[in-house]
Amino acid sequence: MWRRGVLLIKFSELRVNFRRFFVFILFVVSFLTVLMSKLDNVIVEAAHKAVMDVTGPIMQVVEYPSRIVHRVYTYFYDISHIYADNRELRAENKQMLILQNKVRTLEVENQLLSRLLNYTPPAEATFMSAKIIAESGDNFTHMLLVYIGDEPVKKGQIVLGDESVIGRVDKVSGHYAKIILVTDINSKIPVVVERTRVRGILTGNNTAMPTLLFTRSTADIQEGDVVVTSGVGGMFPAGLPIGFVNTISGGDISVETMADISRVEYVRIVDYGLSNEEEIRMDFFESDK
Amino acid sequence: MRDSWQEKFRIFLLHRIPLVTTFILMFIFFTPVNSVQLNYFRPTVGVICVYYWALKRGYMFSYISAFCVGFLTDVYSSSPLGLNILFMMLLVFVTDWLGRYFQSASFGLGWFIFGLVGLGQILLKWLVLTIYFGHILSLSEVMLSYFSTLLFYPFIVSINVWVQNHLLPQERINE
Repeated sequence: MWRRGVLLIKFSELRVNFRRFFVFILFVVSFLTVLMSKLDNVIVEAAHKAVMDVTGPIMQVVEYPSRIVHRVYTYFYDISHIYADNRELRAENKQMLILQNKVRTLEVENQLLSRLLNYTPPAEATFMSAKIIAESGDNFTHMLLVYIGDEPVKKGQIVLGDESVIGRVDKVSGHYAKIILVTDINSKIPVVVERTRVRGILTGNNTAMPTLLFTRSTADIQEGDVVVTSGVGGMFPAGLPIGFVNTISGGDISVETMADISRVEYVRIVDYGLSNEEEIRMDFFESDK
Repeated sequence: MRDSWQEKFRIFLLHRIPLVTTFILMFIFFTPVNSVQLNYFRPTVGVICVYYWALKRGYMFSYISAFCVGFLTDVYSSSPLGLNILFMMLLVFVTDWLGRYFQSASFGLGWFIFGLVGLGQILLKWLVLTIYFGHILSLSEVMLSYFSTLLFYPFIVSINVWVQNHLLPQERINE
């Protein structure tokens, strides 16, 4: 009886020690995961994808009521602004008609010059629409989770809001894709200021306004200048609009994104036929080092 | 008397209720608000739930539960995988220690302690991420999120209190 009691005490001590050791192991595993995620480890990727696959359908069900609320709100918001919008659109339409004529002339001129130079146009882009089903899980990041169905979406592909760039595909798992927004700290896009062709890197900083880095201090950049993709590195095609220069204070240039993410329910994932986008991306970053 | 397997299974499910409640609340708060600005006001529901359950029903909310909550948060963010796991487990560790003194604390005191623990957690996370990315992250946005989490605390806790009073047994049942 006494021996049995001693054994039971020893067993419970062993259990407590094992528990402590297990907790210690959990801490070590999480710490190692942080280190491994920096290396784009296969195991980490697989675990990430598995959780996305399992939780994606749940998220689709959960976001449905919020989507309806948002639609109702947007409907009434649009109705309340219909008069002002109509006036604005009429004025814009007049401007557009003038621009349309200019575009036609330039298009003809462009075709003629292209023929003279024997220019081969780039491949036509194909795109697919994807529904946003979730947003960032914490305030330190800016990402979206979208439902892509069976479409062959690849990591690194560009994501457009209305007509401008809002981010890129970061992870693809089954029917879901994770998109890193241009405002996210992980986002770095080679850009050019459209008016003066000044190059730079648009870097997300987890605020609503990403900053333009690596521009010359004497560069001619003004508030309101349009920022477009430069195509450097081959990751994104050139000339896609991203935003406007919002403020310039000292050496800091803040860019306001063109796409109004508050109105975006669906995004467009565009395939520009840039084969092996991931390899191109890796080459770009390696050459950057 | 040995418990039947049905009884064991029932107890096992009862012990998972805090984790399932946390997951449901997290999913609700992951839904798109369609605004970058509003994203800063998104409360970190996972932190509130982990704190609450670790304080009130520590034996039902183990480190493995915190691990799962952290993992889900990591997947739904672009911060390095493992970081939120680490922070959630640290939160359980700290709350477990605090639970020895404040387990039966009043709501107001619990809220106040959460304010301190949450502040420490968010500042530490900000520091780690700043080092990780090699870029000083904006502290104002982080503080906005902290205050919104603090404001949402009573609402999230009231849901958890309801779950605790209506779905969980009042006395401790070990697995």
